[in-house]
Formats: sequence, C-alpha cells, structure tokens
Amino acid sequence: MSKVTRRNFLKLSTGALFLSGMAGFTGCVESRRPGNLTTLIDCNLCDGCVDLDAPLCVAACRQRAIERIPDPVEPIPQPFPRGEIEDWSNRKDVLDRLTPYTHLYIQRVDIIDGDGGERTIYVPRRCMHCDNPPCATICPFTANHKHSNGAVVINSDMCFGGAKCRDVCPWEIPQRQSGIGIYLDLVPTLAGNGVMFKCDLCYDRVRDDRLPLCVEACHRFAMVFGQKRDIEMEAIRRAAQVGGYLYGMRENGGTGTIYLSPVSFDKVNDAIDSGPGRPHMAQVERHLEKASVLESSVLLSPVIGMGAGLAAAALVAVKGRGGDGGGD
Amino acid sequence: MELVEHWVLALSGLILLASGLLELPLGRRYYVTEIPSVTWAGDFFVVLYIHYAAAILFVAVAFFHLFYHGLLGHNGLIPRRGDLKAAIVVIKSLIGKAEEPPFHKYLPEQRIAYAGMAFIIAMLIFSGLVKTYDNLVNPQLPYILALTATWVHNVFSLFFFLTFLVHVTALAIRPNRPLIRGIFTGFVRLDYVHDRHKLWLNDIS
Ligand code: HEM
Ligand code: SF4
Ligand code: SF4
Ligand code: SF4
Repeated sequence: MSKVTRRNFLKLSTGALFLSGMAGFTGCVESRRPGNLTTLIDCNLCDGCVDLDAPLCVAACRQRAIERIPDPVEPIPQPFPRGEIEDWSNRKDVLDRLTPYTHLYIQRVDIIDGDGGERTIYVPRRCMHCDNPPCATICPFTANHKHSNGAVVINSDMCFGGAKCRDVCPWEIPQRQSGIGIYLDLVPTLAGNGVMFKCDLCYDRVRDDRLPLCVEACHRFAMVFGQKRDIEMEAIRRAAQVGGYLYGMRENGGTGTIYLSPVSFDKVNDAIDSGPGRPHMAQVERHLEKASVLESSVLLSPVIGMGAGLAAAALVAVKGRGGDGGGD
Repeated sequence: MELVEHWVLALSGLILLASGLLELPLGRRYYVTEIPSVTWAGDFFVVLYIHYAAAILFVAVAFFHLFYHGLLGHNGLIPRRGDLKAAIVVIKSLIGKAEEPPFHKYLPEQRIAYAGMAFIIAMLIFSGLVKTYDNLVNPQLPYILALTATWVHNVFSLFFFLTFLVHVTALAIRPNRPLIRGIFTGFVRLDYVHDRHKLWLNDIS
C-alpha cells in the first residue's frame, strides 16, 4: 500500500467526508493497484473551475502531456496519397476539445429544463477506459492495450498513427499528432501518420500507487478513484441520494469511468455540441458484442477440422478396404 | 475432395489476406472505400467479421488436411494413394505449383515449397488464434503475449503475401499456364497432373 502519500490519502478522505460523507470509502486507496480501476466523475461537484484560466485538472493533465510529447519533425512528411496531416504542436493551448496535448477537457453543457429554466453543468471528458476497448483489441500493432489494472494505454513507441482506434472508439477519443513516432523511421509517406494520444489513466503514477493527476488536482474532489466494485457502489449510492443519473456503467459494454449528473444523459447529450474532439454522451452499444459468437467459432474451428479429417479418413479407409479396385 | 480442400483454402486465404490488409487502416487512406460497392471496406468491424468468417474455413480446412492426409499417409504405398498424395501436394501448395521446374525435380521442389507454406500457414493460424482469444477475453492477455502474437501475425502475413505474389507472377510467366488453369477448373486437369506425375514416377522406378 504504501506509496500512497499522506497527502493523497488525506485528499481522498477529506474530499469524501467534505462532500458526501462517504464513510469507510477511503479503503479504495489501498486497493488501487491491481484489478479494474475506475473513476467516478461527479458533475454535481465539478464547477468547471470557471474562475481560472484553465481548470485545475485540465492544466495538470496537459502539463504532463506536453512534457511527454516530442516536437514533430519539420516539415512533417506528406502522407501519400491524401496529404492530410494533423498538427496540433502550435495549438497546445486549445482547451475546448480533446487534442493530442489535451487529454482531458471540460465540456460545458447548458441545459434547458422542461419548465424553461436553464442550468449549466460541467463534464470533464476523457477516455472512458472501457472494459472491453475496441481501440485496443483492434489495433493492428497492439500499440494500444488494456492493462490488468484497467488502464487502456497507447504505447507511443509502437503507434503508427493510423487512427484506427479513433475510428472504432464510440467517442472518437484518441487524437493524432503527425510528424512524430516510429513511422518516421520506415516509409513515412506511405504508411503511418504520427502517434495517437489520449488519457492513459496516468498509468505511470497509478502503477506507483499514486492518484491520477487530474483526480489529485481537483479542488472540488469531483473525481473519485478506486476499484471498480467500490466505485460503482459509491456511484449508485450517490445517484440514489441526489436523484441523479449515471453514465458509463453499461456504455460500450461497461467502462472504467462513471459520470453522475443531476440531469438525464439524454438531455445532456442533446445539449452537447458534439463533433471532432468533443464526444457525445449518447447510449452506446458494444459493437463487437455480437462478434463473440464468431470468435468462439474461430477458436473451435481446429476441432471441427480435426473431426472432419478423422471422419473422412475413416470413411476412405473403410471404402478402400471394401472395394479395393473401385475407389473414387 | 482435394479440389474442395484446395478451393476453400485458397479462397479463404485470399479473403484473409484482403481483409487482413484492410484491418490495417489502409482502406480509407488509399481510396478503397470510395470504390462503389466496397464502401464497407473502411468499416473495421465488418472487415473483422469477414476475417473471422474466412478464418473459420481456413483453419478448419488446414486441420482437416493435417488429419485426413496424415492418417491416410499411414496407409502405405498403394499406387493410387501415392497419386492422391502427390496431387494433394500440387493442389495444396500454391507456391510449389508455381515454382515447378521441369518434370524431374518436381517433387522435391514441391515438398520444400509445401513445407515453407505449411510453416507460414501454421504461424498465421497459431498467432491468429491467440489474437482471436485476446479479442474475446476481458481483460486482455498480458501485453507481451498480445504484442508477440500480433507481430508474428503481421510478419507472416507479409510472407504469405510475398509467396502469393511469387505464385501469381509465375502463373503469368511460365509456359505451364494451361496446367495451372486446369487445376483451377477441375478434374480433367487433375488427370493431366496425374499423367505428368505418373511419368515422373515411372522415371524414378
Ligand atoms: C492467410 C492467412 C492470414 C492473413 C494473410 C492474415 C492477415 C492479417 C492481417 C494483415 C491483419 C491485420 C494486422 C493485425 O491486426 O495484426 C490480421 C489481423 C487479424 N487476424 Fe489474420 N490473417 C490470416 C489468417 C488468420 C487466421 C487463420 C486467424 C484466426 C485464427 C486470424 C485472426 C486475426 C485476428 C484476430 C486479427 C486481429 C483483428 C483485429 O482485432 O482487428 N488471421 N490478419
Ligand atoms: S473510450 Fe474509446 S479510446 Fe477510451 S478505451 Fe474506450 S474505446 Fe478506447
Ligand atoms: S488520468 Fe492522467 S492522463 Fe487521464 S485525464 Fe487524468 S491527468 Fe490526464
Ligand atoms: S473536475 Fe475539478 S478541477 Fe476539473 S474542472 Fe471540475 S472542479 Fe475543476
């Protein structure tokens, strides 16, 4: 347990006490390392840090990203045949959407209530760390992987920037920076186009039993981090307490991020101006749910082939013996 | 039987190759998705379903081949069976066929090519099965295992592709084109193979 710093521990526990009296919940700190880590993002608590230049969580996240991402080469190779590159290196200060440098941003959502009243909520958005993430399983280089602690991490040394992960992610979370990465060493104009970036759940920190930067940075304790089971229970408890709505427990077959909102997510989604880098909050079915039948069949196909082979060989053997001269 | 085997393997192999290439995000970039009626080529889920479906056939036939002929092989040296085996080798080994030198070196050449192709196919199947399992289970396999399976799969896909190219090139160039076309069209040509093969057998004996 013990690389949990006293500060982290206090933060989590005082936050919990301060905001919702979650007695006993501090236990999540100890159980953080293995298993399926999950974050509860409580939109009742997030105030969007509206008085600040940059929200605390966003600033902390972005600082880390900027430090880790090398500058692209000059000029960035033009990928054949389309010549489309995505270069955010001169726009690192963009905070109102996801970019290769902004793995977390605050979505401001203005909702008109049924009775004409208006209300604004702030939704910190980042990768959901899905339980069964298509972005990872379908990566042709296995550059993207869901680790045993639940974090879905893109290995930037392995990523070719083909953006397949973004295409298959229901929220189109990963963002591309062209002009960096392994593709430059091969045939940059023909294959690859940079490196994809997204939230990695502060993988390095979490591995050392520390909290993700954004969780730690939040002055409102709007994010709670811990084991899936504990966090889900806490989410359900809070939702029941305030009559709120949850998002992320079922989406895309279950995720490692749960949002709690005072308004229904249908309304939230309607109010979101979604687009590139600005994910929706609609209900999402897991695309590959149906694939499991096919996958099981693939795994069974050796047995099927073997059985058929044995049967056919037996048949031929019997036939061969019966009518030696006849044959097929 | 051998013909069915050959066809299922060849077709599913080609479908695997095509769908595998589309699993690399090439479709949209290289305008494949803009060819009318192939617009689905950019839909990785559809392409994956196709890859899976073809893999079922491919793997089943490969295992069928292994067991069926493996077992029959144990049945000794009846001339008819020898023919059968040689014909299967011809059919099975696309490369062998393409690289077929004048009659006499026919068999050894083919056996080498056959073994090479069998190895490539075995590696593709093994790594493919691991990848499929990795896609099915949650959480995923340990990273190093998933990474290895993927790279084995990718590298052997490349080998598969290259051997396929060699084969097609040979098809186009060599004067033994009628034979090959024959093999693709059916029994008559098989007889032709049998004939050539018998000559060769006669030489040997
Ligand atoms: C002729 C044989 C085959 C060729 C040329 C081929 C080629 C490819 C290629 C190029 C890829 C994309 C790169 C990657 O994801 O690693 C791929 C992916 C894959 N292949 Fe194959 N493959 C073949 C056979 C098989 C077989 C027999 C299986 C199953 C037993 C299989 C299962 C898979 C799986 C699961 C993926 C990953 C797809 C994804 O999750 O996106 N492949 N294949
Ligand atoms: S939200 Fe998207 S990028 Fe994140 S794990 Fe899920 S599929 Fe992958
Ligand atoms: S977990 Fe880390 S990488 Fe992810 S949003 Fe928070 S600070 Fe950024
Ligand atoms: S989550 Fe916390 S730090 Fe981030 S915007 Fe909301 S209140 Fe600010």
